[in-house]
Amino acid sequence: MECVFGMVGNGFAVVVADTSAVNSILVHKSNEDKIMILDSHKLMGTSGEHGDRVQFTEYVQKNVALYLFRNGIPLTTAATANFTRNELATALRKNPYSVNILLAGYDKETGPSLYYIDYIATFHKIEKGAFGYGSYFSLSMMDRHYHSGMSLEEAVDLVDKCILEIRTRLVVAPPNFVIKIVDKDGAREYAWRESIKDTGVSSA
Amino acid sequence: MGDSQYSFSLTTFSPSGKLVQIEYALMAVGSGQTSLGIKAANGVVIATEKKLPSILVDETSVQKIQSLTPNIGVVYSGMGPDFRVLVRKSRKQAQQYYRLYKEQIPVTQLVRETAAVMQEFTQSGGVRPFGVSLLVAGFDADGPQLYQVDPSGSYFSWKASAMGKNVSNAKSFLEKRYTDDMELDDAVHTAILTLKEGFEGQISSKNIEIGIIGTDRNFRVLTPSEVDDYLGEVE
Repeated sequence: MECVFGMVGNGFAVVVADTSAVNSILVHKSNEDKIMILDSHKLMGTSGEHGDRVQFTEYVQKNVALYLFRNGIPLTTAATANFTRNELATALRKNPYSVNILLAGYDKETGPSLYYIDYIATFHKIEKGAFGYGSYFSLSMMDRHYHSGMSLEEAVDLVDKCILEIRTRLVVAPPNFVIKIVDKDGAREYAWRESIKDTGVSSA
Repeated sequence: MGDSQYSFSLTTFSPSGKLVQIEYALMAVGSGQTSLGIKAANGVVIATEKKLPSILVDETSVQKIQSLTPNIGVVYSGMGPDFRVLVRKSRKQAQQYYRLYKEQIPVTQLVRETAAVMQEFTQSGGVRPFGVSLLVAGFDADGPQLYQVDPSGSYFSWKASAMGKNVSNAKSFLEKRYTDDMELDDAVHTAILTLKEGFEGQISSKNIEIGIIGTDRNFRVLTPSEVDDYLGEVE
């Protein structure tokens, strides 16, 4: 039921993820951020087992940071994606991580890029992609409306179309989504799309 | 490394704070055949004497200058067999990097890892330091680069440097001749002239080796006929 999707636009890449944390029939919370910011210009949207997701994304994030500390230059998006794939592939036949990843980044030399890495270390460089049941709907919407070199407004519009489609058509659709983008100015949260606000603990 | 009886390092401090084994290793380098490198504006050249112990040795079977990756080459002064071991290790490290990131290893990082290996052998059980200094020439996203790596594991970036028997003469010659805007071809000529300075006997394409890397980022050793051409231009 977890939805992650993303696409590449004109000088940026956008990744969207649902924000529900679910265990069987119980919703733990509806504001779980599943898009980890790896460094100044990289994002990793992940779906899958909660424990694996957190463990693996933190592992990648810390290795990306270590490389920067050791060598004084950041990893490229491609290098990070290949490193991630390698880790998943190495663990696959021993103790696999059940995580699906959309890795987006911006490099000065090559611009924005998006990588599809699934739990069995399938690796693709893509312009648009999606994971989960929501992918049936978001991929179709993107196939219909996506074109390369979209502006941020056009892309967010398409994202909203996808979210609407997921909400209308998926039986247990997640109520809330988070949208993050990465461009020349860095990786950052762009917006939330909430249909259910998680209220804080009421004061005693 | 360091099995059974030799879990203690053979490289130990003297009372004056020196590691004598490393000093001796540097002496081994200093008595080795001269090698040098020059960083030009658009490439790097490395060169070495190739004096063989007898005229009966087939000089085409000896290659002192080796490539570590398609865009990084290396030459040495000192003990040939130690050099071979380092080349093997460095090549593997470069490939491991590629396997991890699907990108060519930057020159600085390969130099750093090679230097780390050399340092290990000054602090591990039962081993001795490598009896070579390396000159690593590479061309990557940061442009042309030339590094020297010593038996201690220290490494330095140079615009031009020399090692081995004739090091002081060669270095003063290079200091006079080096200019920042040198082109690769000029650098090759200067390299040959520097080798010629301390050369015993007649210099020819059979007793020197030259490796270059230019903006094509492809390191290669010059063929004897190419070396002859350069020698002809220099005379």
